Formats: sequence, C-alpha cells, structure tokens
Amino acid sequence: MPYNIAMVSDFFFPQPGGVESHIYQLSTKLIDRGHKVVIITHAYAGRTGVRYLTNGLKVYHVPFFVIYRETTFPTVFSFFPIFRNIIIREQIGIVHGHGSLSSLCHEAILHARTMGLRTVFTDHSLFGFADAASILTNKLLKFTLSDVDHVICVSHTCKENTVLRASLDPLMVSVIPNAVVAENFRPLDQPSPPGDSGTVLTNGSRPSKPPQNLGPNDIITIVVISRLFYNKGTDLLIAAIPRILAEHPNVRFIIAGSGPKAIDLEQMLERNVLQDKVELLGSVRHEEVRDVMVRGHIYLHPSLTEAFGTVLVEAASCGLYVVTTRVGGIPEVLPAHMTTFAKPEEDDLVSATGKAIAALREKKVRTDRFHEQVKLMYSWTDVAQRTERVYDGVVGMLGEEEFYGSSSGGWSATRGHAGVQSFALIDRLKRYYGCGIWAGKLFCMCVIVDYLLFVFLEIRSPRSSIDIARNWPKKSVQNQNGTNGDGLQPSGRKNERVNGKAIYTLE
Amino acid sequence: MAVNLGYRDPDGEVDLHRKTQPTSSNPPPPLKELPYAPDPSRLAPEDAINSGSDTPRRIRQKSPLGMANGAAGKGNGSLATSRDSSVARGANASISNGRKRREKDTDKEKERARSASRRRKGGKGTWKKLLWVKQSYPDNYTDEETFLDHLQRNPRLQPYEFWTLVADSTVIVQHCCSVLIFICCFVGIYQERVSPITIVSVGSLCTVLGWVIWDHWVGQEEEARAQLELHAEFAEEASTGAVNSDSSTTTAAREPINVVRDDQQQARDLAVSTGGDRDASSTSRNASSLATNSTPLTPSGTGHPTGAASFANYSYYPPYGGTSTVSPRNQQRLATAKSAMLIYCALLGLSPILRSLTKSTTSDSIWAMSSWLMFINVFFFDYGGGVGAKFPASLSTNAAIMASTVLASRLPSTTHVFSLTLFSIEVFGLFPVFRRHLRHNSWQGHLTLTCALVMGQGAGVGLIFPGAGIGAAIAGIIVSLLLTSLAMGICAWWLIGLQKYKNEIHGPWDPARPVLRRHWD
Repeated sequence: MPYNIAMVSDFFFPQPGGVESHIYQLSTKLIDRGHKVVIITHAYAGRTGVRYLTNGLKVYHVPFFVIYRETTFPTVFSFFPIFRNIIIREQIGIVHGHGSLSSLCHEAILHARTMGLRTVFTDHSLFGFADAASILTNKLLKFTLSDVDHVICVSHTCKENTVLRASLDPLMVSVIPNAVVAENFRPLDQPSPPGDSGTVLTNGSRPSKPPQNLGPNDIITIVVISRLFYNKGTDLLIAAIPRILAEHPNVRFIIAGSGPKAIDLEQMLERNVLQDKVELLGSVRHEEVRDVMVRGHIYLHPSLTEAFGTVLVEAASCGLYVVTTRVGGIPEVLPAHMTTFAKPEEDDLVSATGKAIAALREKKVRTDRFHEQVKLMYSWTDVAQRTERVYDGVVGMLGEEEFYGSSSGGWSATRGHAGVQSFALIDRLKRYYGCGIWAGKLFCMCVIVDYLLFVFLEIRSPRSSIDIARNWPKKSVQNQNGTNGDGLQPSGRKNERVNGKAIYTLE
Repeated sequence: MAVNLGYRDPDGEVDLHRKTQPTSSNPPPPLKELPYAPDPSRLAPEDAINSGSDTPRRIRQKSPLGMANGAAGKGNGSLATSRDSSVARGANASISNGRKRREKDTDKEKERARSASRRRKGGKGTWKKLLWVKQSYPDNYTDEETFLDHLQRNPRLQPYEFWTLVADSTVIVQHCCSVLIFICCFVGIYQERVSPITIVSVGSLCTVLGWVIWDHWVGQEEEARAQLELHAEFAEEASTGAVNSDSSTTTAAREPINVVRDDQQQARDLAVSTGGDRDASSTSRNASSLATNSTPLTPSGTGHPTGAASFANYSYYPPYGGTSTVSPRNQQRLATAKSAMLIYCALLGLSPILRSLTKSTTSDSIWAMSSWLMFINVFFFDYGGGVGAKFPASLSTNAAIMASTVLASRLPSTTHVFSLTLFSIEVFGLFPVFRRHLRHNSWQGHLTLTCALVMGQGAGVGLIFPGAGIGAAIAGIIVSLLLTSLAMGICAWWLIGLQKYKNEIHGPWDPARPVLRRHWD
C-alpha cells in the first residue's frame, strides 16, 4: 500500500550534511518503492516556495525566521496553518520528522497528531544529560515524543540515548542505520560503471593510484576528513600526528576539512616542521570526498562523539583501512576486520595507528574486498525497506503482535487499539501530562491550544476550499521496482546513482 | 564520561556476567555473595547517606524493560525498595514515567517477557549490538540484557561526610558573622552609642596585628618555596642538559617548548601565591642564579636557545637600585605601608564627598539598597578561594564597599564617615585575606576565630537592642552559638539528605574527554 509521506526537517539541501543527505536518499528510495514523498523545510537564502528534485520529489521551503545554525525559531503554533494546508493539499498520511534540534520537525509532529496523522521521528544525534542546552533540548524532545507513533534511531547507542532522553518505550524505537551510495565511493581500481562521468578532482588531475603491494618502505598515506571542531577530536589528531610521523617515517597525512581548530593544526605543523608530510586540503565538497579518500590507505577518525559515523562506511567502501576512536555508536558500524579501535587517548590512538600501519605492511588486511562487503552491508534500498516496515506498523498494517511483539488485549496508554496510538484528545493529554510536574501541565495547555487552533482552522479555511495537488506522473519502470520491492536490482542502483548526481547539480 | 566506560569488544560482545545474576523480587542477596568487587566509580546517591556501613550492590534487579521481574513473579515494582531499584532507576524510572505508571504493570511485563522469549526462540543466533550484520530480529527489538548496559549513574559521586561538611561550613559562618558585626557597628555608630573612633581604632589595631602575622606566614612560605624551587631547577637543569647533549633530532626540538611552558607555569604560580611580583622575581632570581652558578658547564646557563633555566630572569626584572640597601621583604613592607597611607589619605580627602554623595536619597531607599548590597556580598563571596586567590570575588567586595558608602551618608559628621568607610575596607577587603591565610596555616586558629566571630556577632546583635546591657550581650552570645551550631548541623544533614535526588546519567553517548599528554618523555 503506497503511503503519502511528508518528511519535515529544518535541515535540507542546499545545506550539506548527514541529515540532509539521509532525508534525500531515503525519500528517493521510498519514491522508487511506489510511495509519494514531499519534503517540508524552511526557506534557505534564495530558495522559497516549492521545488522539484529528481524523480518528482517535491520540496516545500516554508519562509521562517532562522535563529541559529539553520534552525528555525520555535513558535509552537505559527507553523500550523501552512502545515495544515500542505498536508491537506498533498493528502499526507504519515509525517516523518528528522533531527532533534529541528524545531520545525517538533512542531510538525505536534500538529500532525492534532490533525490525526501518523508520526515517525528519526533521531540522528547523541545528547548528554549534563549541560543546560541538553536539558532544554531533552525536555522539548520529551514533549514531542510523548505522542509519536514510532521513533527511528541510526544506531543502538543512539536508541539507548533517545529512550532515556524522551522516556520512551524501547519497543517503539527502531534502529535503522544510515547507508552509503556505494557506487559513489568506489576504490580506485574499481571500474566505473557505464554512464558515469568519471571522477574529476578539483584541480583537474586524476589521483595517482596507490600501490597495492605495500613494501616495508613504501609510503602509507593516512586520510582524515572531518570538520575541525573540538567534538571531532581535532585536539587528539593534533597531538597524535607528530608522534605518528616520528615513529613511522614513511607515512604521509592528507587532512581535509575546515573549522575553528584549523589554526591549531597549522601551528602544530609549523612548530614541528611537518609541512612536507602533511597536506591540508581545506574543506572539500561531499562529492569530492571519494577522490580524496582513494589517495590514502588508512582513514583516521579521532572523533569524540558520533551517533553513526557515515564517513567511516564511506572510507571502508573506498577500500581504506579504518582507525577510529571507540565512542558513541562507532563500534556498531563496521566489522572488526575493517577497523582498529582506539580509546580517545593520545597514546592509544598513536599505538592503534601503528598497529594499522603494521597490519597493512604485512598484508594482513584485504582492503580490496572492502568495497563489495560494504555494498552488501549498507544500502539505501534496505533502509527504505525497513522504514517502510515502520510505516506499516504505525498505520496498523502489520498488527500489534507482529510489530511490537506483544498483543495487549486491553487498552494501553502507550499504544492504542490497533497497535497504534489513539488520537482522542483525552488520551493525548494523558500522555503529555506525564512529562513532568510543571512541564506536563504546560504541555497539556499547548496541546489544547493547538487543538483549538485546529478547530478554528477547520472553520476558517475548510478542507473543501483547499486544492489537491496532482501527483507526479510515475514511470512504469519505477512502478515495477516498487512492486518487486526486493533490494538491489541493477535498475534500482542506476536510479540511485543518477539521483545522487542530480542533487549535486542542484547544489 | 565515555572514557571511563567499559569499552565493547570489536564484535560487540559484552560482559554479561553482571546482568545474568539470578533476579527475584526477594530482598537482595548479601554483598559477600557477589563474585566481583563493587566498583567504587559507580556509586548511587544513596551511598552518601549510609556510606561506610555497606558497599553498593550492583546487580541489575530490574531489566530496563522490566522483563526479569515480571517473569519472576508479581508485585515487582512495589516490593523493590528504593535501594533495590537504584541501578535501574535512572533508566527505569524515566522510561516508565507517568503514562506507563498508570498501566497494569504486571500484566504488561508478563506479556513482554513472553514476547521476548518468543523472539529469542524464533530468531537464529543471538542478537548482537551491531549494525552491519543483517539480523533476523526486527528493528525495534530490544535486547533486555545489553540494553542500557553502559549506563552509569553518578559515576564520580563523592559521598559527603557530616563532619567534613560542618568543618567546611565554618567559612560561610565566618563571613556572615563579619558582615553582621559590621552592621552592628554601623547601628552602634548610627545610634551614637559607640564612638566611631573607638571602632576604627580597634579595627585598625586588629588589622595591623593581622598584617604582622600574615607577613610572618608569607616569609615562612617563601623560604619553603625557595627551597623547593631550587630542587626543581636542579632537576630540570639536569634533564635539559641531558637531552640537549643527546640532541636527537625530534625530541630536542620538542623538549625546550615544554620546559619553557613549565617554567612559565611555575613563575606564574609563584607570582600568584606570594601575592606580589617582586617577591616572585626575587625568589626565582635567587633560585635560577644559584642554579646557573652551580652548573656553569651546561649549555643552558646562558646559551640555551630558549633560555629555559634563566627564563624568569628575562621576564621579571627587579626594580633598579632596590637590591642594594633594602632586602626584598622590607621593600614589600614599605610598599604595603605606602599603599596603606595612600588609602588612608585618600579616604580622608574623600570622606566629605562620600558623606554628601547619597544624602538626598531617603533613608528607606538607603536601607533597602544596603541590604541588597550586603546580600550580594554574602552570596557572591568566594568561599572556596585558597591562599593564592589574588582578587577573589571582586563583585562581592565592591558591593560591600558600596553598601558602606551609602550607609555612610546617614552619619552626622565627616569623622563618622571616614571611620565607617575605613572600617568597611578593613572588614571586607583585608579581613577575608587574613581568614584565608589563617585557615591555610592553622586549623585551631581558624576554629578559634570562628568561635570568636560568632560570639562577637551575638554580643553585637544583643547590644544593639535599645536599652540593652551586658545581660543582653551574654544572651545574644548564647543564642547565636546555639543557632549557629544548629544551623550548621541541620544544613549539613540536609545537604547529605538531598544527595539521593542526584541523578547524573552518563553513557557511551557522552562526548569523550580526550586524554592528551602534555609532556613527552
């Protein structure tokens, strides 16, 4: 049964980032599977109104006041009229919000429940419990997620975190990882599939192929691609680089990315006179990441916190051996033969890198097989399939027993009759009331006001006066794919790549 | 944070030993039966209350989903005491918040237990906490044994001890008492029962006395520090020399930077702790010159590229001509006397202005304003500051001085104003410094001073009542002693009691604290 899905998030293209590409890839895959997807985000500079991306993916850029890092100002109610209009216009049945820092997403989930729609929320990040910002965000998350049908997290660590932060029933939280477009992250010796325009570096030159048989004296290149922020572990990197280079003379570094810590990094290079061994590329665009990665043998990831670490999968897909800190959800992402783990300590990172270099020199690691393995592990088609199962569950297609694994015959506050949450206002209020002594009452008031607003809107602009948008005409090939629905057919993959290209031209 | 957490094995297998303890709704097994030593880093706040009596148990009494207990029997939640559910509470209490609490717990948990067992049987192989394997479990499967396995509650909790808390609270008592004494003195002056000259004379006498004692302590400290410094310099001299003579390409390049940093650090410490640049310079100069004299052959004496050993020389020049006649200690004393005279004269000149500054404001506003300023002083005072604190809590001190300034406008003559302001500087500016040093140097002295202040404050409060005599003073002393000790005890006990509400949650989602080595050896 095809669903009409609205993806809501503050974060979408043209801004680059993990959440953005996640939404895009998931949406295209869902469209390939026969669903209808629209994306609702706020207006970016020079981008207001409705836009179409490849495959009939419609994007609504709603004008909103942006306060910080592309997050809109949380107004709780002001989004409701236009949101309702879009929902009715597009005949949306499921609202899927992304990103716990996006207030647009939180508001959309609240309004969608008021309108009687099914809601799903995807959490992409990890939060602590200690600092004031986290406490505030967690309370807000608790508010929104008090009345959500299902939550998707990108890793098991992320699930634990979200369950604790929002006080959720763990059974209504699914873990569906991110994925990579494996075709965009091929190792160098991999023949590029036909139709591909080829890899072009920024300076126009083709990257030199690293020697496959590494002798004891061959140069090993270590690649680091990360924004140079504190929480990406740049301090660790700065401390470790001189020691790694001192211990292993035949090692070179390529560091891509920019950020506030770039100055520290440059200072370290000048102090230790390492300019000829460490190449700083500055920030690279996402489509150039592969071209940087294939120049190296080892990918070093010194991050201090990470919900999933898509870049690790990308690096492994490019055939790089991965050295990473064991933080957050990283240990779940890649199998042991592709990675060397280190504690987030300088000494351990240096020794882990040493081990990785030794393993590569002794040819213990078959990096040439990584690409095929990663391709089997992660694919967006798989992600879309699993997300579809979540949709099936929340609309009641699957049945409670099958979806939640339990058949509570009686009434339950957490889950309604059909294995999904009840829409009755009194049930919703009960759920919100449990959020806290004061917060619960405040949230209840918000919900009541929201409901009154909904009633007012129904009278003021009745549904009959809103036009229904025509659907994007579907090609027959895609319909076939959608009905087959089993993962990796060649045609599906081709679409994937074409879509991947399409979005880059839009940027 | 996550640094301290147990790290998972690469294949995601975790040590389940702890979790597979047989759980039941009966009272927990005694501690001796535990096969492992309790981890002191995983304290629960309850340990603060009965610390020492028994060590914390760390068995997962309730699985985060409540499965184990639900399967074992009914009445799980109600039987579990607060201590029993201490581990799971962070997870469990928050998971089963209001909406879940209203449900029939036991029924639901039984169902879940059933479903879990069904799933375990149905699935091929055990569930693994990995993302790259395709598992036969559904995406929302929650493994009851590993879920929230790495959750830590209050990992760095320091259980308070009653007497330590009481001892630490003396600092606050001292400050509050000195504020009260100041207010009593003002009331005395305002009601013209005490001569302002008497108060300021006694205050100044005490200040001079305090200064003499302080000077003595500083002298002692300096000597000790100079000794220490000498040793440190010797050690560093040796190590730098050795490395330089080795002159291995990379280490030698790094080494001096660290040494310089060390030296800077030491010099800064010195400057801060002795309270004056001149002292710091003199000691480190002595130390470094001695060091260079004793090891003239090492290249670092003068020819060291970064001037590691002689760094202090470059940055802190002693004042010219000062060294010949007067010793640095005496120089400092002279400077202190000079600044004291300066403040004295300035106050003398400013008193008429201060007196008329807020004269046009009504008395009600003055009382309100000075009360607020005194509250600011008490709340923002730097109670934790050690001896080295140079300008601690300037907001607090400024508020107090301003309070005395606005109060001074209610006084009849310039002499009154001068006395009160000078007294306030002594009480709020200099007395805290002395108190800090006293606490640092002699605990008995600190206690005695606390008692004296409490008694003085009691007497003062007793005396300011109209028509009060010596009897009122004695009554005030007794009441204040009783009240203070009672308040100290109750507050300490209360704080310890509040610890059970502390619920700090840590887990693998926290940003890790990177461990960097500052010194390469």
